[in-house]
Amino acid sequence: MADAMIEAEGLRVFRERRLVLDVPAITIEAGEVLAVIGPNGSGKSTLLQALALLLPAAMTYRFGGQAVRLPDEALALRRQMAVVFQRPLLVEGSVQENVALGLKLRGVPRAEITGRVKEALTMFGVQDLARRPSRALSGGEAQRVSLARALALRPRMLFLDEPFMALDVLTRASILQDLRRALRSAGMTALFVTHDFTEIPPLADRVAVLNGGQIVQTGTPRDIFSHPANAAVERLVRAASDLIRGLAE
Amino acid sequence: METIWQGVVQAIHLLYTRDPETLRVTFLTLRVSGMATLISVLIGVPLGVLLALSRFPGRRILISFVNTGMALPPVVVGLWVSILLWRSGPLGFLGIMYTPTAIVIAQTVIAAPVVAGFTVAGIGQLDPQLALQLTALGASRWQLYWLLVREAKLSILAAIIAGFGAVVSEVGASTMVGGNIRGQTRVLTTATVMEVSKGEFGLAIGISIVLLLLAYAVTFTLTLLQQRGRQPWLMR
Amino acid sequence: MRIRSLAAIILALLLTVGCTAKETKPEVPANPDVILATTTSTQDSGLLDVLLPIFEKDTGYKIKTIAVGTGQALAMGEKGEADVLLVHAPADEKKLVESGAAIERKLVAHNDFVVVGPKEDPAKVKGTKTAAEAMKKIAEAKAIFISRGDDSGTHKKEVSLWKTAAVKNEGQWYQQTGQGMGQTLNVANEKDGYTLTDRATFLSLQKNLQLEILLEGDAPLLNIYHVMLVNPAKFNKVNADGAKAFHNFLLSKEAQEAIGKFGVEKYGKPLFFPDGGKTEEQLTATK
Repeated sequence: MADAMIEAEGLRVFRERRLVLDVPAITIEAGEVLAVIGPNGSGKSTLLQALALLLPAAMTYRFGGQAVRLPDEALALRRQMAVVFQRPLLVEGSVQENVALGLKLRGVPRAEITGRVKEALTMFGVQDLARRPSRALSGGEAQRVSLARALALRPRMLFLDEPFMALDVLTRASILQDLRRALRSAGMTALFVTHDFTEIPPLADRVAVLNGGQIVQTGTPRDIFSHPANAAVERLVRAASDLIRGLAE
Repeated sequence: METIWQGVVQAIHLLYTRDPETLRVTFLTLRVSGMATLISVLIGVPLGVLLALSRFPGRRILISFVNTGMALPPVVVGLWVSILLWRSGPLGFLGIMYTPTAIVIAQTVIAAPVVAGFTVAGIGQLDPQLALQLTALGASRWQLYWLLVREAKLSILAAIIAGFGAVVSEVGASTMVGGNIRGQTRVLTTATVMEVSKGEFGLAIGISIVLLLLAYAVTFTLTLLQQRGRQPWLMR
Repeated sequence: MRIRSLAAIILALLLTVGCTAKETKPEVPANPDVILATTTSTQDSGLLDVLLPIFEKDTGYKIKTIAVGTGQALAMGEKGEADVLLVHAPADEKKLVESGAAIERKLVAHNDFVVVGPKEDPAKVKGTKTAAEAMKKIAEAKAIFISRGDDSGTHKKEVSLWKTAAVKNEGQWYQQTGQGMGQTLNVANEKDGYTLTDRATFLSLQKNLQLEILLEGDAPLLNIYHVMLVNPAKFNKVNADGAKAFHNFLLSKEAQEAIGKFGVEKYGKPLFFPDGGKTEEQLTATK
């Protein structure tokens, strides 16, 4: 069996003396896409950031089967991952400069950068916007660039924090398809946090449900929906399916 | 009105004939205030970035000191720097009282908090998640600071302009630590005050016009840098 | 591109802060900087602009003239922050010598103070014989009087005259500017008031003023300049050689002649009277 991509144990995050995240163990298998869902304030983003080594957390951490010494090795490890946030968070400059930024920071040779930038932009259908200033993009275009920026890095692990939340339904559907294709073709391991259950079927292999800073259930999407583990999960699932049923009637 | 007209005529005369005394004073002003601004930027921008981004106990107190420093009366700075540099002071052995170096020191003390304060505000205005995103892209701490400074370019250039403006226009500290010595530490502001106290209003106005032109020239250059390549937002 | 080269020029200028071109001087002494503490009125008279270049060319010393209020100049001497003093406040100078902070106090020159006021002369100062009498008339008439109020030599002289006249200098009519002689004269001019001024400053500003000299020549109105060395035995950072050189220079024939000629061309009369070699007592006695 292949090594798990990420194994974290004893993950605890404190914010102003309060314990906001308490996960005794979590594993992300290589090549799988894990969706993390839960009500507001349940700690989803905190979990994502902790696993992406973006915030200080107490835990033992293994990456690709290797033990990782934190915080010393954090920078090196971050350079093997990529994160996409809810907002595009592009910097001043052209689209291609933005996509090249991560590659430059990671010391990729200049000759290689141009090719990879083009490849990534094409993956999300924005190759024609290469020279456009980042400030002159629509919301959907900017988020595509942000995704391209992340995938240009060919990360071993991809994190997405509600990447489509700020987009309208049509744009969302379109980008979602491109992302799905990109993930599948690269066999990418990914963790994505979402509010929107319709994103789960096309993308996720497994789902983790978070509530009150703890994981209350993990399983395939079907497991979660047909056999919610407790009242809280059931409430969550029920609300989503009521909505869908309501529309169908 | 006549005095103002006299002053304008004086200014034109001084510049047209390239009056050596005026030129000397002008270049000294530019060198001293320029050097002070440069050092203030080297100290103030990194300090501002650190204050904006790090979390450590006492951070807010330190920021309040910086903000107070922005409002420090220059003449008070001059007095305290004098006390340090006097022969009888702790740094008297350096023997730099009444030299351009002393003026640079005093002006740096005045400008550095201004630059730092504006930088803290400028970085603080950036999207808080931006630092997170850049870190996730793989930026080391110094790469992160550099990228954020670039993003806050508008504010930081404003900081530099404010810092330069604060010192090129101040006279209290420059007089006290410099002594307004002809050919050595006389700058445009101290020369203006001196001519006024002698009753030479026309000449004073003339010199002040030269000072205004100098300040404008530098600020204009910095503004061009600041606005380079920027699209006006409303046009879209 | 233009911005880059402009930035480069500015950077180049900045880098020359420390480097100043040195003109070839005779033998540059080991410590060429001499700090001269003097008063604003002395500097404003322009006399130093004539004397200093001669001294600097002859000796290679560079004088740093710090022109401040008399109080500050004397305080600088008291603390050893200057090397040589040129001031005109005899009573306080003597105190400095007594305290051991200053030595070699020698008379250099004198000029005089005059009482100036508006042409209309509401207090009827013109025609009085002594300064004390003039001040008395001004106080009694409650005519506007502008004082420097800054502890300068001029101010101290003014205060002593009020004392001699035995009148109180208080009230709406008595206004203090806390500033130099030029400024104070301008204020007096604007307000049509009286003031006490040294003749030199008055003459140099006369073209801008509508004030007239209403009293002059009385003995107490002498404004006497002494040069003093800050005591190197007491303050070891003093440039004793440089100070001594300047001290000797002021009393030299060359300087004394220059002092006597100063202002004649411009104003028709000399602004200063050289007294090198005499003593203060001799001076006040002859008047």
